[in-house]
Amino acid sequence: MNFGYMKKEKKNLLWVKLDNAAKIYPAARRRNWSNLFRQSVTLCEEMDREVLQSALDVTVKRFPSIAAKLRKGVFWYYLQQVEKAPEIGQEYSYPLVFMDSNEMRKCAFRVIAHENRIAVEYFHSLTDGTGALIFLKSLTAEYLEQKYGISIPCEHGVLDRDEEPREEELEDSFLKYAGKVAASRKDTNAWKMSGEPQPGNTLNLTCFQLPVQKVRELAHKNNTTLTVFLSAVMMQALLNLQREKVKSFRKRKGIKLLIPVNLRQLFPSNTLRNFAMYTIPEIDPRLGEYSFEEICDVIKHKMGAEVTAKYMSTVIATNVNDEKNPVIRLIPLPIKNAVMKAIFDTVGEKKSCLTMSNLGFVQLPEIMKRYIKRFDFILGVQAAAPYNCGVISYGDTIYINFIRNIRDAELERHFYIVLRDMGIPVTVESNQT
Amino acid sequence: MYCINCGVKLSDTEEKCPLCETVPGAPYERGAPARPLYPKNKLPEATLKRGALNGALIILFMIPILVSFFVDLQANGNIEWFWYVAGALVLLYVIFILPLWFSKPNPVVFVPCGFVAAALYLLLINILTDGKWFLSFALPVTVCVCLITTAMVVLLKYVRKGKLYIVGGAMIAMGAVMLLMEELMTFAFDLSFTGWSVYPLIALGLLGGLLIFLAINGSAREKMERRFFF
Repeated sequence: MNFGYMKKEKKNLLWVKLDNAAKIYPAARRRNWSNLFRQSVTLCEEMDREVLQSALDVTVKRFPSIAAKLRKGVFWYYLQQVEKAPEIGQEYSYPLVFMDSNEMRKCAFRVIAHENRIAVEYFHSLTDGTGALIFLKSLTAEYLEQKYGISIPCEHGVLDRDEEPREEELEDSFLKYAGKVAASRKDTNAWKMSGEPQPGNTLNLTCFQLPVQKVRELAHKNNTTLTVFLSAVMMQALLNLQREKVKSFRKRKGIKLLIPVNLRQLFPSNTLRNFAMYTIPEIDPRLGEYSFEEICDVIKHKMGAEVTAKYMSTVIATNVNDEKNPVIRLIPLPIKNAVMKAIFDTVGEKKSCLTMSNLGFVQLPEIMKRYIKRFDFILGVQAAAPYNCGVISYGDTIYINFIRNIRDAELERHFYIVLRDMGIPVTVESNQT
Repeated sequence: MYCINCGVKLSDTEEKCPLCETVPGAPYERGAPARPLYPKNKLPEATLKRGALNGALIILFMIPILVSFFVDLQANGNIEWFWYVAGALVLLYVIFILPLWFSKPNPVVFVPCGFVAAALYLLLINILTDGKWFLSFALPVTVCVCLITTAMVVLLKYVRKGKLYIVGGAMIAMGAVMLLMEELMTFAFDLSFTGWSVYPLIALGLLGGLLIFLAINGSAREKMERRFFF
């Protein structure tokens, strides 16, 4: 068991090294951007803040690597379990309010209650979407148990809050599953979207609600999965938007979509820390017009080739090799940060137009379903690009949350037009009043 | 409720379409107002404590000024070279720190301010050295460079197009100032005219001319962009 890195400090608080994927996020932070994402659950009834605080107090002890603060060592950052749960925060007019270093030093996640919604916002170094969803489900289960006196079975990602954290949940699975051969990092740059910035650093959120049944039917008609289908819709929207904005055919650039891949589906890992990689399907608009079926094929084949344990182990190895390099390890943290930030700024976000992360269908213990109306998954915007998109499905609805830091909802409009032309009914809501 | 422009179904929380910003036309079509997705309370804007920062910077500048004052006084028994150091530091302060007092410093104001400070520093040196070159040389050269730079900054800031014309024109004008500078030096310092100013004039004229040529010729500009993009 590669668990020697984990030590106990006073008061039995755990601390862990950042996992391989998490290392870039503290270094890449800037004055008004930190890599956060949010998951929220909307209950059928109004929230009781006191009960939620009590549920959070219980839940944080079960998740020491998520309920943690970011601390600085001489050579690397590390996560330290928080002594006590943070106070339930207040909702503002937009999600994912910037988290500064001071806040991260105290606690690198927030729990926000608003009317009947519980939202948790995580700094990405703590966990990925899958780990975060387990935390949110467990917190919600604890809340419902305390509020309504019901007993919820520990299944479908709800963990027993009275249990001690398991070692396998705290492991850095990247180190465990890195292959012997490293993949190349060479890749082309993607088209970069732009627009008039939204004043005051606020973020515009637009949520599309789609009926699962109709989308699934269309996906099956195109011989694809739901993720491939929605990614194809997004790429079609991006192609249409680029065609509208870049008139010169020769100046158009590759449309590339970053699709995160949950590595737990490929490797037998139960970690609650980051364990996701990505694949980036690409379409070069200079090669001619693409039909929707062709776009689906591009994504399907790219994912077919890359979303395999063998290929992903080579990509993991590329990143892990850097981390293992003795010279890099000995460089003091401030210098390492500067170099990592420079690399991130130069290449990090230029390889795709935006991220479209699909967490899939939320499964819950049967007894919880009657209390829960919806789930949302919101990614923060990229550091240098204006958009990102999170997808989650619950019940009979797919919730697609677009976030942007520019004024105009041009990508959302094109996305809607593609869906409308396919006959998919869409309901839209936003935080823009 | 549906948007009358793009046709998307709007949630009851929406006051206008989030996609095309169209306000739903018929009020009777709207159902009972629903709870909005997010509250309207804005995040209090973080304010940079400009006063504290500038206070700290003033103290930072005062340290070398005071140190040089006492060192000069102790070494020479009176003040000899202190004013040069103090003047240079004040000049640096005006050019680099003063704009930080403002949230959106306008270069159209601060560029001439910098030149005024530079002219005053030159005047100080002129007085301290009993020189007679300020009015005949330093002032006209500073005024000319100031006018050209300020004009360029104003045009770049307020004219949307023609950046290549503006920078090219400024370079040619700066070349002409070189000729004037040599002429004034000849007059102020009693030197003979050697014609050195022709070289920067030619270099700046060629560069300025090239920029204007690129501004006129679109295909040449595209070729240059292709070769020199970074």
